[in-house]
Amino acid sequence: MWGWSSAPDPARDTGWINAPARKGFFTDGSVCIGCKACEVACKEWNGIPEDGLQLLGMSYDNTGGLGASTWRHVAFIEQPRRAVGSDGFTPLPMVTAAPDQNTHAGSAETGIRWLMSSDVCKHCTHAACLDVCPTGALLRTEFGTVVVQDDVCNGCGYCIPACPFGVIDRRDGPPGARNVGIAQKCTLCYDRLRDDMTPACAQACPTQSIQFGDLDELRIRAHDRVDSLHAAGVTDARLYLADPNDGIGGAGAFFLLLDEPEVYGLPPDPVVTTRDLPAMWRTAAIAGATLVAGAAAAFVWTRS
Amino acid sequence: MLNSFVEMKADGSTSGGCWIYTGVYTDGVNQSARRKPGSQQSWVAPEWGWAWPMNRRILYNRASADPDGKPWSERKAYIWWDEAAGKWTGHDVPDFQVTKAPSFRPEPGIGGPEGLAGDDPFIMQADGKGWLYAPSGLLDGPLPVHYEPLESPLRNAMHTQQSNPTREMFPRKENLTGPSPPEPGSDVYPYVVTTYRLTEHHTAGGMSRWSPYLAELQPEFFCEVSPELAAERGLEHLGWATIVTARTAIEARVLVTDRVTPLTVDGRTIHQIGLPYHWGVGGGGSIVSGDSANDVMGVALDPNVHIQDSKAAACDIQPGRRPTGPELPRYVEAYRRRAGISVDTGTARVTPEKDGS
Repeated sequence: MWGWSSAPDPARDTGWINAPARKGFFTDGSVCIGCKACEVACKEWNGIPEDGLQLLGMSYDNTGGLGASTWRHVAFIEQPRRAVGSDGFTPLPMVTAAPDQNTHAGSAETGIRWLMSSDVCKHCTHAACLDVCPTGALLRTEFGTVVVQDDVCNGCGYCIPACPFGVIDRRDGPPGARNVGIAQKCTLCYDRLRDDMTPACAQACPTQSIQFGDLDELRIRAHDRVDSLHAAGVTDARLYLADPNDGIGGAGAFFLLLDEPEVYGLPPDPVVTTRDLPAMWRTAAIAGATLVAGAAAAFVWTRS
Repeated sequence: MLNSFVEMKADGSTSGGCWIYTGVYTDGVNQSARRKPGSQQSWVAPEWGWAWPMNRRILYNRASADPDGKPWSERKAYIWWDEAAGKWTGHDVPDFQVTKAPSFRPEPGIGGPEGLAGDDPFIMQADGKGWLYAPSGLLDGPLPVHYEPLESPLRNAMHTQQSNPTREMFPRKENLTGPSPPEPGSDVYPYVVTTYRLTEHHTAGGMSRWSPYLAELQPEFFCEVSPELAAERGLEHLGWATIVTARTAIEARVLVTDRVTPLTVDGRTIHQIGLPYHWGVGGGGSIVSGDSANDVMGVALDPNVHIQDSKAAACDIQPGRRPTGPELPRYVEAYRRRAGISVDTGTARVTPEKDGS
C-alpha cells in the first residue's frame, strides 16, 4: 500500500533497494506535429496488434483513445475560427515565431488552431490499478513505473475501473493475437529501460515532443519550457500532472498542454480511486462491529 | 563512409551511394541525429540534424552578401568574404568556391565554373546570375506570369489569356477537359478540387495500405469540405459524397472542417474540396482500399519539365455514394452533356481577345 509523503519515491517505497532515478515522460504538446510516429513505433516495438479500421471523424485522429492495443494516442483538436467574443470573434492564442522559439500550427488568416498531443499511461505515483490488482500482476518497477506482467494477469479486470484516466483495458482481439483477455497498457518500454535504451515512442519522436529521462530533471525542463512559452505570449500553456501534490501524487508521464485538460479529453483533477479505501474499510469495519455488538446486546438483553 | 562527395574516386575504390547524401555519416557520426539546441550555436543551427549537400542549409548563399562580399544586412549576416583569411566563411557552408575572392574576374572565353566571377552567386547557371527575365531555356518565358489551371471556375483576373498556351495536352475521350471561362458550361463544375498527402500514407498507398499499423491510422478515403460547402450541398460529416469531374466520379467519406476555407475571388465565393490521394483498389493483402483521387484528375503537362497540371481541377460534389456499373458512365455523361463537353473542350491554346466576361 502506498503512503502519502511529501516526496514520494514509488520504487523505494515499494521496497526496491538501490533503485535508479525515477524515469518518466515529458510530453510537450506545443511542439507535437501529429505525425503519429510514436503510435507506430510503440506498436512495432511491443508487438501490439492493429485494433480498428474505422474513420472516426475526430479530425485526423482515427485511434480514438488509449486501450489494451493502443499505448500511445495522438489527439487532434481543431479549434474553430468562430469562437465568440464581445466583437463576435475571439483570437485564439498562438505560439508566435519568436527568433528562439518553436512555432506551432496556427494561422492568423483563418483563426483556427490545430492542437495535437500524444497521450500515454501516466505511471502515477499513487497507482490505483496496482492497488486493486489481486494477483500481483501489476508491478512497480525499479524505475518507478507501473507494468503489467502478462503471464501473471488473470484478466479479472479490477484495474480497468480503478484507473482515473481510462488507460488500462483488456485486449479483446483479434482472435489469435497475444494476450487476448489480459489487461494491457504502456510499460514505458520496461525491456528497453533495463538495457539502458530510450522508450520506442520517445526515440521515434522527430520533434522531441516526447522527452524521456529522470523525472526530476524532466520537471525542471518542463517548468522552463512553460516559462519561455509564457514569455512568448502563450499564456495558456500549462503543465498537467507535474505536481507531486495532486490527486495522484504527480505522474511519471506528464504533459504540457495549450488549453484546459478537458479539451484534450483528459480529466481536469484526477484523484487516485483508491484514496478513500482505507477510510471506507474503517467505516465498514466500524459498521460491522456495531452490527455484531448490537446483535450481541440484543441477545444479552433478551436473556436477562 | 565518405566525408564528402569530393572524396569519390572514379576507379571504384570508393562507395558513396547517392552523392548528395555523402557526408551524413562524417567522422562515423550519424550527423542527421544531432540535436544541439539552438541556444548553443549560431542562428543557422548547423549542428541540428543535417542537410544535403554537405550540410549546406541554403543553396546559392553567396547571394546573401553584396558584390564586395559583405553581408547585405548585419542582422541577417549569413556568409561573407574574410579578406584576411582569403576565403568565404560564415554561419553556413558557403555554396561557392571558398577561395574565390569577390573581385575575381575570369579571362574572357573561359566556360564552366572557372568562367564565373567572384560576384556570380548562382553557380549552377551558365552565367552565374539569377534570372527574372529568361530570354532562353523556357518555352513559356521570358517573364513569370499568372495563368489559371487548365480547369478553373474563374476567368484569369490578370490577363486575357486564360491558361498556359504552351501546355502539353492529350485530348482524347479518356482524358476530357471541363470548360473554363470564357467557354460556356463551367458552372456545371463550380468547385475546385485539389489533392494532397497525409503523413500516414506513402504515395498511392501501395506500401502503406498494406501495413496494418499505418492503415489503421488513416483507414478510409475522405474528402475535406468547409462547413459552408457542406451546408450548400447538404453534405454530412462522416456521410458519403460523390465528386464528379469531366473524367469520372468517385466517392469518399465527408470530413467537414474549419481547416478548409472558402475563397473569395473576384467577388465570388469559391469552394475548395481536398482529397488525399493515397487510396485505390485493394488487391492481395491490402488492408484498406477506396476510390482513387487520381481518377478525377486529368493529364496536361507544363511545357518545360512536363509536370502534370493535376493539383487543381473543376468539379461538382453531391451527397451520397456514386453510381456503380453502367450507371456510373451514364451519371458522368449527363454532366458532360450539360457542360457541352467534347474532346475539343479546353484545347484552344489562345484565348480569344473578346469574351463575355
